[in-house]
Amino acid sequence: MSTFQIVNPGNVAGATQRGGGSAGLPVALYTSTGDTLVEASRKASKQISRIPYYSHTNLVVIGEELAKEGIQQIFDAVERNPQFRPAANIIIARKQTAKQLSSVLTPIDKIPANQIIKTLQFTKGLLGENVDTRIREIIENFSLDGKEVVISSFRIAGDWQKGAEQDNVRTIEPSARLRAAELAVFKNGKLVGWMKNEEARGVLWVLNKVKQTNVNIDWGESKEGLSYKVMRAQAKVKAKLKDGNPIISVVIKTEGDISETFISMDFTDPKQIIELEKKIQQEIKKEVRKAVHAAQKKKSDIFGFGEVVHRTYPEEWKEMKKTWHNKYFPEAELHVKVDSFIRRTGLRTRSYIQ
Amino acid sequence: MERACISARQLFMLAILFEHGSAMVIPLGVDAKQDVWLAILCGMVLGGGLLFIYYRLFTYYPRLPLTSYSQRIVGSFFGKVLGLIYVLYFLYIAARVLRDFGELLLTFAYPETPLFILNTVMMLTVMYAVYKGIEVIARASQLFFFSLYWILILGFVLIIIAGAVDLRRLQPILEEGWEPIFHVVFTQTLYVPFGEMIVFTMIFPYLQKQEKVMKAGFLALFLSGINLAIIMAMNIAVLGADTVSRSTFPLLNTIQEIRVANFLERLDVLFMIALIVGGFFKVGVFFYAGVIGAADLFQIKEYQRLVYPLGISVLLLSIAIASNFAEHIKEGLQIVTIYMHIPLQIVIPFLLLLVAVLRQQKTDKENKGR
Amino acid sequence: MWTRSKGKKEKDTHAYGGLAPNGIYGTIDQDLHTNIEKVRDITGNSADIIIRRFLLGKDDNFPAALCFVSGMVDEHIVQQLLLEISVQLSLPSSSCGLDYIEQKIATTNTARRIQQWHDIFSSLMSGEVILFIDGMLEAIGVSVKGGEYRAITEPSTQLSIRGPREGFTESLATNVAMVRRRIQNPHVWVEAITLGEVTQTNVRIMYIKGIANDKIVEEVRSRLRRICIDGVLESGYIEQLIEDESFTTFPTVYHTERPDSVAANLLEGRIAIFVEGTPFVLIVPTVFIQFFQAVEDYYARFDIATALRFLRMLVFFISLVAPSVYIALTTFHQEMIPTSLVIAIAAQREAVPFPAFIEALLMEVTFEILREAGVRLPRAVGQAVSIVGALVIGQAAVEAGFVSSAMVIVVSITAIASFATPSFAIAISARLIRFALMVLAALFGFYGILIGVILMTIHLCSLRSFGVPYMAPLAPLILENIGDTFIRFPLWGLKERPHLIMNTDTVRQKDGQRPKPPQRAEKEGDSN
Repeated sequence: MSTFQIVNPGNVAGATQRGGGSAGLPVALYTSTGDTLVEASRKASKQISRIPYYSHTNLVVIGEELAKEGIQQIFDAVERNPQFRPAANIIIARKQTAKQLSSVLTPIDKIPANQIIKTLQFTKGLLGENVDTRIREIIENFSLDGKEVVISSFRIAGDWQKGAEQDNVRTIEPSARLRAAELAVFKNGKLVGWMKNEEARGVLWVLNKVKQTNVNIDWGESKEGLSYKVMRAQAKVKAKLKDGNPIISVVIKTEGDISETFISMDFTDPKQIIELEKKIQQEIKKEVRKAVHAAQKKKSDIFGFGEVVHRTYPEEWKEMKKTWHNKYFPEAELHVKVDSFIRRTGLRTRSYIQ
Repeated sequence: MERACISARQLFMLAILFEHGSAMVIPLGVDAKQDVWLAILCGMVLGGGLLFIYYRLFTYYPRLPLTSYSQRIVGSFFGKVLGLIYVLYFLYIAARVLRDFGELLLTFAYPETPLFILNTVMMLTVMYAVYKGIEVIARASQLFFFSLYWILILGFVLIIIAGAVDLRRLQPILEEGWEPIFHVVFTQTLYVPFGEMIVFTMIFPYLQKQEKVMKAGFLALFLSGINLAIIMAMNIAVLGADTVSRSTFPLLNTIQEIRVANFLERLDVLFMIALIVGGFFKVGVFFYAGVIGAADLFQIKEYQRLVYPLGISVLLLSIAIASNFAEHIKEGLQIVTIYMHIPLQIVIPFLLLLVAVLRQQKTDKENKGR
Repeated sequence: MWTRSKGKKEKDTHAYGGLAPNGIYGTIDQDLHTNIEKVRDITGNSADIIIRRFLLGKDDNFPAALCFVSGMVDEHIVQQLLLEISVQLSLPSSSCGLDYIEQKIATTNTARRIQQWHDIFSSLMSGEVILFIDGMLEAIGVSVKGGEYRAITEPSTQLSIRGPREGFTESLATNVAMVRRRIQNPHVWVEAITLGEVTQTNVRIMYIKGIANDKIVEEVRSRLRRICIDGVLESGYIEQLIEDESFTTFPTVYHTERPDSVAANLLEGRIAIFVEGTPFVLIVPTVFIQFFQAVEDYYARFDIATALRFLRMLVFFISLVAPSVYIALTTFHQEMIPTSLVIAIAAQREAVPFPAFIEALLMEVTFEILREAGVRLPRAVGQAVSIVGALVIGQAAVEAGFVSSAMVIVVSITAIASFATPSFAIAISARLIRFALMVLAALFGFYGILIGVILMTIHLCSLRSFGVPYMAPLAPLILENIGDTFIRFPLWGLKERPHLIMNTDTVRQKDGQRPKPPQRAEKEGDSN
């Protein structure tokens, strides 16, 4: 079953000057069924008075159910049709069906799909717990033996049944809201588990996809007493084989500022800064280890360690690739090295909190 | 032959456009996976050897095209037969490239337009250009050379800025060793596009300064070889070897990855310009060579009179050549390579050169004897 | 059919051949009265032919007559001339021989003796004064050309912010002089030729001997001589009869109203053709890039000039393809428009009843009508047109749902772009090609546009102007001249004249023209 969220351009604000803009909804939802995606799309023509045009398809939402069954089959039509953009984003609907997720009206972006895409982009850039996976990446990962897919999920916060009504965008706090949720971990195209918070960020650290985020560390008695704002992060993954067993080393470099603190400390002292940096490094290291362990438990190499081995040891890889996810990856030894630098401390040297 | 003369610079640019032609947009030699750029470079080096054969032949008969000196070398009758074979070969390849071009265009942008109409429009343009003569084609090539180069550089810069390039995708190098690479070289990249330089044996005689043929020809060959290698390496670094090898137009997919500042995206038009300009020059040069060859063989003074009949034949041939794309590609990779490219690009020119050298030595001896 | 048209042609030849002054045979008579009658007879006793009879000599024993066309001579000088002749001939030492008179006329520059009637009439009609003296077998033609002409004003086309303010007028002599004043060199050669069997229009060919290619000068001469029509009223007549290729929308002959532009072109080895009665001077051979060069480019510094050149190219390109790109994008390639824009355009087009092509055509044609109306209307009414235009095109059409506002923007951009194209001649050809491209775009989208552009390029490359490839120095590429095309090198970098129209002297400046700060003595330092 596939659902199409179709934009009604006349009702998107700013697009028209000839009135009527506020009367209708900006999007309409149509559902049709078929054995294949193409069939469903063609059958939809029974309800829609326009030709479905996929060049501006920006978002594909997959229901959790389907994700558990496997998503490998759905991309051939997407890849084959020149209309589709392989750069379109893809998300999983967490705990709901894709249709339910698509039927929520959103207040700021008139088009809910846009809301999702932008949310995804910004949360990825600012927090780093979600990835904006594109269709092309997924297809590429299907062809690689040493890498598995990870996709962000979205869920509806609040009462989803009210989300489809216009009233949802008339209140200051909509009763149904879309929010980014956990990362979906796949194995062989099937959803095998979820990762969230620090675990999720750990995945992004290794995938070199963290742009900005904040890391809280404990200092003395004060739990989470200091917040480190990462401005730049870079991760490098290397692999070695020892007696046929892979050793993965992850090197992460971060640069950033101190953005908030509840502790009284003089940040003009370089020694203190170095102490802080060590703390931060441990914190990040912890996150990465957590993420890798979680993935190892699920036996899904979402980090692409296998590909690193492939590149470094092409000969050995030919043997290893068959059992990589089940045998080698869960057993792989992990070395994490983090270099964190605090470059600046903001406009104040000390906090007013004594 | 037409009364015309072109400069070495024009020959260079025409050859570059010709070499880039369709090779730039099709998945050239992708069976070599991530080492395709190596396959292209190897093809280029060996193609340089072929070009040297053509060049040596040219130095023996600097005023004559292939169809004429074949008669001088192996005698009037066999020479004419050879000339006719080459004319047909050029026209056939023109039709093939035209078909390629139409298929590509149809698949990605005009699914509802009949192939015949797309091809007709292109062929009419080519016919107009050929009607105007080699000088005009050469001059136009100078204008398009710069536009194409700007587009390539622009695309290159944008794709890097967009951050879509991941050089790790090019690794591991030589995963399967050299064998698959040479397989690709000897089945594909050597002949298309490098061996196709044979068509320039029809154009070399127009050169104003004959001594510059060598420089212009080789420079064009090497530059386009390097460019093509970069383009294909770029495709792989952006898309990954698997996607490239499954793609009908890797370059299009690569360009679609460009997303800069949420504004510079959907730049498919760059791809279209490259496709159409490249296709035009490739079909144009082959068709011109065919027409001029035919005029030369049949002693027709005004070659323009052949443009329309031959143009329509090429057009019809391009449609009739195969019933579907798969068949067309299959023909191209197997039948054409074995029965056309290898004998006509390598064996016959080599034999011609051999005979020419022997004849030369003989006359030299005779001269000394006197 | 064939014979009929042939017969007609012969008849035509005869018709205007008979009207030409050289169709009037014979020499003048001894008798003054007969001569005057002949003049009256041939000119049909025209009111503006003035015949002034008077008596010459010490004893007033030589009846004579001055004959001229009023308005074409400087009547003040005619008075002086009359006075002078009378005074000179009444001196005791005088004799009344023609030689004597001819030599004694000092008021004017030229005086010559004429015998043939056709010479007399062509002199008369070109503004000379003819002196008939009774008993003489020759008349004297005195050049006192004058009369009222439009004063030298700023050119109305090709305006410039920096640069000379004077433009050509309708007077041939003034125009030639304006150029000569700029190049004060004896090697500036001017050749005279009269064209138009009936109009007898004076035409001058000007070039710099030694810079201009002699072959091209000869080619210009022979092409001009070949012209045989009844009248040449504007340089456009000549342009159409000497251009290499008629079936092209691109101008292969450059025309200008600016003397400095002519001077610059002469220095580049080109040849100027002046025509009596028009301020537009033709310049050959012409290359495409000339239409993007403004004289001001050379007066401004190179960085600005280069930026402006790029702008003009861009503007030309926009005026060529903007509507067709819009058509192609909205009908074939919606996938290439950014999503938010495509939604905006779709929302506008929702209510428009026409396909994009018809919509564009409608607007473009409306715009062309408005422009044409604006050009031809008296200035006072012109404003009304622009108001109606602004309202009709700008607002009403959109509000009525006839066209989308995006289309209005596209058409406006195109219009402004075509106004910003420096040469009207090239802008108007872009206007024509634009419509062809729109049709191609409606049929095949970007493929059509590209095919159109390729065809146009091939066509441009096949053009020649007096043997010079039209796209030179871009195609064929002449590296020495590339500094004056899309880019303009600093003046000291423009070392060579355009190559293809040159034969002898290609170098136009010495090396080392690049300005440098004065060399400072080492010890001097910053102390002073």
